[in-house]
Amino acid sequence: MFLTRSEYDRGVNTFSPEGRLFQVEYAIEAIKLGSTTVGVRTPHGVVLGVEKRVQSPLLESSSIEKIMEIDTHLGCAMSGLTADARTMIDHARVTAQNHTFTYDEPIKVESATQAVCDLALRFGESVHDEDAMMSRPFGVALLIAGIDEVGPQLFHTDPSGTFTRYDAKAIGSGSEAAQSELQDKWHKQMTLVEAQILTLRILKQVMEEKLDQHNVQLAQVTKEKGFEILDEKSLKEVIEQM
Amino acid sequence: MPGEMAHHPQQRQFNPYSENGGTILAIAGRDFAVIAGDTRQTEGYSIQTRYAPKVFTLTDKAVLAVNGFAADGNMFVKKVKQRLEWYRHAHAKDMPLRAIARLIQTMLYAQRFFPYYVYNILGGIEDDGTGAVYSFDPVGSYEREACRAAGAASSLVQPFLDNQIYFKNQKAAPGSAHPTHLPLSTVIALVTDSFTSATERHIEVGDGLEMYIVLASGSSGQGLEGVKGLRELSTKGEAERVFVIRRDLKKD
Amino acid sequence: MDHFPTNWGRPRNEKHDAYNTYPLHDRPYNGPKDSFAEGVQRTQQPIVTGTSVLAFKYKDGIMMAADNLASYGSLARFKDIQRLHPVGSYTVIGAGGDMSDFQYIQGMLEDLIIEEENTAADGHKLGPAEIHEYLSLVMYQRRSKLNPLWNSLLVGGFKDGQRFLAYVDLLGTTYTSSTIATGYGAYIAQPLLRKAVEGKEDLLTEEQAREIMEQSLRVLFYRDARSLNKFQIATITAAGATISESRTLKTEWAFAEGIRGYGAQVQ
Repeated sequence: MFLTRSEYDRGVNTFSPEGRLFQVEYAIEAIKLGSTTVGVRTPHGVVLGVEKRVQSPLLESSSIEKIMEIDTHLGCAMSGLTADARTMIDHARVTAQNHTFTYDEPIKVESATQAVCDLALRFGESVHDEDAMMSRPFGVALLIAGIDEVGPQLFHTDPSGTFTRYDAKAIGSGSEAAQSELQDKWHKQMTLVEAQILTLRILKQVMEEKLDQHNVQLAQVTKEKGFEILDEKSLKEVIEQM
Repeated sequence: MPGEMAHHPQQRQFNPYSENGGTILAIAGRDFAVIAGDTRQTEGYSIQTRYAPKVFTLTDKAVLAVNGFAADGNMFVKKVKQRLEWYRHAHAKDMPLRAIARLIQTMLYAQRFFPYYVYNILGGIEDDGTGAVYSFDPVGSYEREACRAAGAASSLVQPFLDNQIYFKNQKAAPGSAHPTHLPLSTVIALVTDSFTSATERHIEVGDGLEMYIVLASGSSGQGLEGVKGLRELSTKGEAERVFVIRRDLKKD
Repeated sequence: MDHFPTNWGRPRNEKHDAYNTYPLHDRPYNGPKDSFAEGVQRTQQPIVTGTSVLAFKYKDGIMMAADNLASYGSLARFKDIQRLHPVGSYTVIGAGGDMSDFQYIQGMLEDLIIEEENTAADGHKLGPAEIHEYLSLVMYQRRSKLNPLWNSLLVGGFKDGQRFLAYVDLLGTTYTSSTIATGYGAYIAQPLLRKAVEGKEDLLTEEQAREIMEQSLRVLFYRDARSLNKFQIATITAAGATISESRTLKTEWAFAEGIRGYGAQVQ
């Protein structure tokens, strides 16, 4: 008398008899449709890279924003339904500011990541008079990069609210190929420039269009300068070094 | 004149505050901090008890002294300790000294319109290994200093400290400069003298002295040998070491 | 959006704290409001009052005493009021100050014991330290609402081989000491108790303690106009808590006749 699978992917808060939450799993699937996003950790800092899909020659590529600052020492790249990330990043920013206000110190990378993940499972029906909740899981995955007293760190979050720390991680449509390439090429003593080049090479491999300074974006978090998105000029320099 | 009083409606209001006497004091050295307080608790001219601690260890390297209205003080310490515990769970580390200092400010200022009637002095070791003292007013103004006295006899002790720690109104011998940091033995002597003197001249100070000493990681602790009433609170293996010296003060 | 996880899933009220300016520990109250709150009068002064309570440590435990008078201003209104009250199996509390507030506290503690010992029935019994902590939180909370319980309370007890004696009052002020006296007793009896008890807590027998207590009560009765020479003495020891029947103290007033300015005037 088991109900068919399709009846369990309606309610976002309903487990299937096998113990699965289909809506969450579908949300994780949604990320695989997103553009490829890569993060690489080195002893000197963390590099984030994204592909910007420029679907039309009339599209202003600088208006595609897939890497955002959370705090001066924290950055974030996304893949999936990028609009969903706004809520998460807004929360991360407020949490980070509040931490600095209360403790006069930058928030730890893991704590900021945890704060973002606390949001992930707040979907479903809301009880009368309660704070309105979300109707569905987030459809976005994040790579959160940052530096704190522990050193440079890279975290991956997914729609289930799970977060994991990586030396290098790729998400989005080209992630499978990209991840195996990272596994081959990443090593412990990478320099920041090496990481930038590796990131771009991997993006180049998985992108359909020819890679240039308009359809990719690079950012990094370093001890010296904190979070920064590379401007077109610096990006071009890295591309030339590839 | 009494007739005039009748024209004004009089209202008696419950006063939620009291003042429970006592004095606290802290001095920072290069790689240590000393935080001390007497143990007398008073109300008016009565001694309520001869032993009510005003100095509390918060972490392995932070000690807080609280003075003023005892009920507020105890509640405040309780809440700070609770926040430190929550922080430990959330961030998997002990709260650094400067973070505790800022936390205390936000907690005090949160009560801006019904303040904790307490003066706080926080002492301990910073993340960079230096000895530090932070002092607060009841609504959260704070600064890092080399030394500070607060409480009933602060007006007696602070000038003494200004003279002995900051060398105010002292001229260094020609060709030499005043030291920027004093050795531990000198600081312990100054604290002891501060409290014996305050006990002599202030009726709300006395009974007992509790002096906490926090040594930075790698500090020799020179100056502690053979000190009367010394006890180590830290266990082996901790980077910073915490000691307490308990002494009697005059009970009259 | 509300960025404080502690508020998630709670009823919201965005009129308050729309910008999340409050630190975590000090959330604004979003629950239902009492429309008549402003018309409610809070205790501004005690009405029917009890005077001093005395207590000190002795060899076997704690001895505590209070007279049976509840005054209405200067009127000796009720002369058979109990101001010592057992709580749980190991504790006695004694109260000075407003007697209605004290009786409210008795009810509250009774509920507490029912909840913690009978309902839970987990074998954990509240000792004097726990009861004192609970009481001090209640007293501090009420003073913080500017609606105090107008009492000075002593908590005495004996549990797990440990004596316990502590004080808490309407401000939430607390302390422990080997001798404590509240009210007028703080001025009259406390010095006598300190002289007789301090340093001898582990030596005094029950008879000696009783002698000290009665002498202190006698002096208090002579000097405190709001006191009565009818009182009860409680002992809390390893054997449990006992509160004696009311006893009347023999007092001598004949000497007053000879005191200038006190008895009949003799020029």
